[in-house]
Amino acid sequence: MKHIDDLSVRVIAGCSLADLQSKALPPYAPEAVAFLTAWSKQLLARPDIRAYPDAASFAYWCRPANLARLQRELGSERLRIGRGVALHIAPSNVPVNFAYSFAFGLLAGNVNIVRVPESLPAQADVLCAVAHDLLIQAKHARIAAMTTLLSYPRDDALTQRLSAAVDVRLLWGGDQTIQNLRRMPTSPRCVDIAFADRYSLCLLSAPAVLAAEIKVLQALTVGFYNDVFLLDQNACSSPHLIIWQGTVQEVEAAQARFWSAMQVLLNTKGQSPGIHAVDKYTHLCRTAILVKGTKATPTADNRVYRVALDELPENIAEHRGRFGFFFETIDNDLAQLRRIVNMRYQTLTCFGVDEHALAEAVVLHGLAGIDRVVPVGKALEIGVIWDGYDLIRAMSRIVATQ
Amino acid sequence: MSNLEKYVSAFTSTFLVDESALAHLKYQDIAAWDSVGHMSLMAALEEAFGIEMDIDDIIEFSSFEVGRTILSKYNVQME
Repeated sequence: MKHIDDLSVRVIAGCSLADLQSKALPPYAPEAVAFLTAWSKQLLARPDIRAYPDAASFAYWCRPANLARLQRELGSERLRIGRGVALHIAPSNVPVNFAYSFAFGLLAGNVNIVRVPESLPAQADVLCAVAHDLLIQAKHARIAAMTTLLSYPRDDALTQRLSAAVDVRLLWGGDQTIQNLRRMPTSPRCVDIAFADRYSLCLLSAPAVLAAEIKVLQALTVGFYNDVFLLDQNACSSPHLIIWQGTVQEVEAAQARFWSAMQVLLNTKGQSPGIHAVDKYTHLCRTAILVKGTKATPTADNRVYRVALDELPENIAEHRGRFGFFFETIDNDLAQLRRIVNMRYQTLTCFGVDEHALAEAVVLHGLAGIDRVVPVGKALEIGVIWDGYDLIRAMSRIVATQ
Repeated sequence: MSNLEKYVSAFTSTFLVDESALAHLKYQDIAAWDSVGHMSLMAALEEAFGIEMDIDDIIEFSSFEVGRTILSKYNVQME
């Protein structure tokens, strides 16, 4: 690795850029696992973690049993080692994303430089503070020497110097950010893994919704709430479009049942900010002008805006709303789905349909998008397989023998 | 420490409740055993017994009593 000078950055945890040592580790190295599981344990033991379910989920993901399972899934047929130094440009729309990105890089065996966005909510500070406290301990010295969590205001020259010095870049952000980062020169062997803007949708079986016992229906609404409202529909994997399956009568009855159950749940969640309602209302007006056949369903209290469409326009992904804004349609043979899906499509959440069959349909029809089919409630559960990449394999190299 | 002691200790240290309150304790009976508390408890139990629990068992782990039965599947016997 090229030596990286101490640039004008704020180091949040780990060592300075100048002190970073470049030796990689094999994937799931004991030192890396020991650090991540200690991080997990410290976080889960904090009384204030209850206020931050996303940070708690990260900590839970890093628990020893889960990392052991992931290590087994990677297998040991091949001799592997981290690619070297990984630069992570983390996004600001998902507060705990930088921690996952860092964990993936570390588990793959890399030295990690993680740019943490400057204005993140409090749970990011908690994650950083706990990481810092662990990394100054002697037992995590090896990991501290290969970790720099840092922060700096937007500065392309600085990002450029970092980019030139690393072997892997994990780039999270909007399309423009990614394009800008891609233009920066990197070493010839550098691997870029880019997570650009994505679009996600949900498929619900009307007969299944109608047949669901009350407990199952409640669990469905809680899952849907978490997928959508925890991050105000800003996450790439939060659904914006709901595809229903069933006869028109079944779908109408299922919609009535589902949305009134959603309303019951939303009523327990306190008020949503007025500005969100304004955002949805103006978006509805815009949609009415731009999207042919828009039929708005009356909203009870501005929390959920629903637009019914008989026929989805091909560019439906460009009309995504936020804070609880949905398009709904009926598509029993997936003909509409096949027409609209392009490489922007990421997560398909579903209820009452066979997710494996849906995943197989993506392959069978040669769709350009959809890299994830998971049950409703799992949209935000990020893992080592993300955006169609196997991140541990992509961020490590194979040392081959015959 | 016996298995039962470890089991009790995972609850008392995670939820900061008295041992006497455990016998009939169910998920969401107390503020500490919410969805986040549940994650902490599952991580504590996995660590205490050196096991990896299946997702179905984690979901069905709805009370102190039910948990004892679930853990018996992982060869954690409590007398």
